[in-house]
Amino acid sequence: MALLEVEKLTRNFGGVCAVSNLSFSVTEGEILGLIGPNGAGKTTVFNLVTGFVRPTSGAIRLDGRSVVGLRPHAVARRGIARTFQIVKPFPGLSVRENVTLAAFLRHPARPEAEAAAEKVLERVGLSPRVNELASQLTLMDQKRLEMAKALATEPRLVLLDEPMGGLNATEVDVASALVQRIRESGVTVVLVEHVMKAIMRISDRVVVINQGEKIAEGPPAKVVEEPEVLAAYFGKKRVA
Amino acid sequence: MKLARRFLPALLGVAALAAIPLVVKNSFFLHVCILVLMWTVLGAAWNVLGGFAGQVSFGHAALFAVGAYTTIILYLKGGLAPWWGIPLGGLAAAVVSLPIGFLCFRLRGPYFSLSTLAVAEIVKLVALNWESVTAGSVGYLITSLPPLSILGASVNWEGKVPFYVAAAILTVIALAATGWLRSSRIGAYLVAIRENEDAAEAVGIDTVRTKALTFALSAFLAGMGGGFYAFYFRYVDPDAVAGIGLSMEMVFIAVVGGLGTVGGPLVGAVFLTAVAELVRERFQAGHLIFYGLFMMLVIRYMPEGIWGRVRKIIDGKKGGS
Repeated sequence: MALLEVEKLTRNFGGVCAVSNLSFSVTEGEILGLIGPNGAGKTTVFNLVTGFVRPTSGAIRLDGRSVVGLRPHAVARRGIARTFQIVKPFPGLSVRENVTLAAFLRHPARPEAEAAAEKVLERVGLSPRVNELASQLTLMDQKRLEMAKALATEPRLVLLDEPMGGLNATEVDVASALVQRIRESGVTVVLVEHVMKAIMRISDRVVVINQGEKIAEGPPAKVVEEPEVLAAYFGKKRVA
Repeated sequence: MKLARRFLPALLGVAALAAIPLVVKNSFFLHVCILVLMWTVLGAAWNVLGGFAGQVSFGHAALFAVGAYTTIILYLKGGLAPWWGIPLGGLAAAVVSLPIGFLCFRLRGPYFSLSTLAVAEIVKLVALNWESVTAGSVGYLITSLPPLSILGASVNWEGKVPFYVAAAILTVIALAATGWLRSSRIGAYLVAIRENEDAAEAVGIDTVRTKALTFALSAFLAGMGGGFYAFYFRYVDPDAVAGIGLSMEMVFIAVVGGLGTVGGPLVGAVFLTAVAELVRERFQAGHLIFYGLFMMLVIRYMPEGIWGRVRKIIDGKKGGS
């Protein structure tokens, strides 16, 4: 059975349809890439799944149980974690405290939460930075911290919103490896990304959306050849 | 050893509080001490919500008023002694805080602050106009306090010492509550909410519930402060207990002392009360100018507050951590 099922999901903002009748599912253990041009509605999909925005209609199920109407903290408790495209650390707190706050979700006592945070920080390669303030990290490390916070909630599914946005080529490779390691640790991944090279390499499957609607789905190499995808990215004239 | 170091400042503080009435015989000075302690409780109440959770309320006078009215009405109409009425006043304020929080916490940042300001004005208008309960602008006056004897000695309500003891007990409760809060998981959650509310939700923190609980604790302390006011000044009317100045004073004390610190409100109350009394003595007209100037200097040069700055220096000398 699919870990996450999204069915006929629709969200209107006033007259604008940000997500329209979108259905897709995520299988346990896979990396699913969610791609599409700017403004296609990718981040809105993340906001809908994690409870930050309520759907106008449609269903979202984790393991067959609906998560529609739950507030974000309750969605996190169910096992869906997310990162933000524009990173949202707790800027005035240390890296360790940032991740400990997330670890509290599964470890209410501070010593256990700190120990769990320590392990996650090691996994993402932030151990040397634990005492620094989150606001003082480089962008790469802020992206790492964003992932560490998500992982510290011990999710079954993690939604990564552009973990590679703004990174240079070397850093993109590091981040790709990190995403693959997350999957290897048993966490299912949905990835929104603009860095095509990376998403083509690490995704098992991609879903392409444009103007809130799904226009293609399948293995990355195949999807990029579909005329509708090319049209969405480059315009109809050039393809024809 | 670690435990001793953690509780040593608290023990020294309690000892100092206990020593003051034994040393100080001047009743004006004791009156100033009582004011300082009352403002400490109120500053601590505000600081729980504003300093730790970053939810700046401009309406804490509303909670103060609920506590003050509860205490004085229970005594004058129900014959319940103020020392029972004060905690009940706190409880009443905590209950009132729930619907206020339900409405105001939907808003964030400056919008939250303005909505609390509006709530305080509503409470004041209710106090003015609901005459059957609040006696309107006439207010309530306590002419005599009930007899009380402790260890066989009857308490003299004409002296300042009994009130000082009551204020000291409330101060210990308020500071112990904030000290506990700071070291608890809820306290860590509050800081997370202050730093970034969305990020806090995303890592599984129920921000609405956490804020509501904190507001209730803050209201409980502010309500007890109000109850104490009724007990000590023996007079309650809408202007005295629900004015906007009261709300602002609580903000100032927490800010000048140090936002989000345990000792800050005490330090803030000592400085602001002392400055207020000193300049009032020297310059009868326009003393508030100097009071304001003092506040501006602190905010400009010590945005972390007096106690916040002291802590920074101490922590820095210990070598980080």
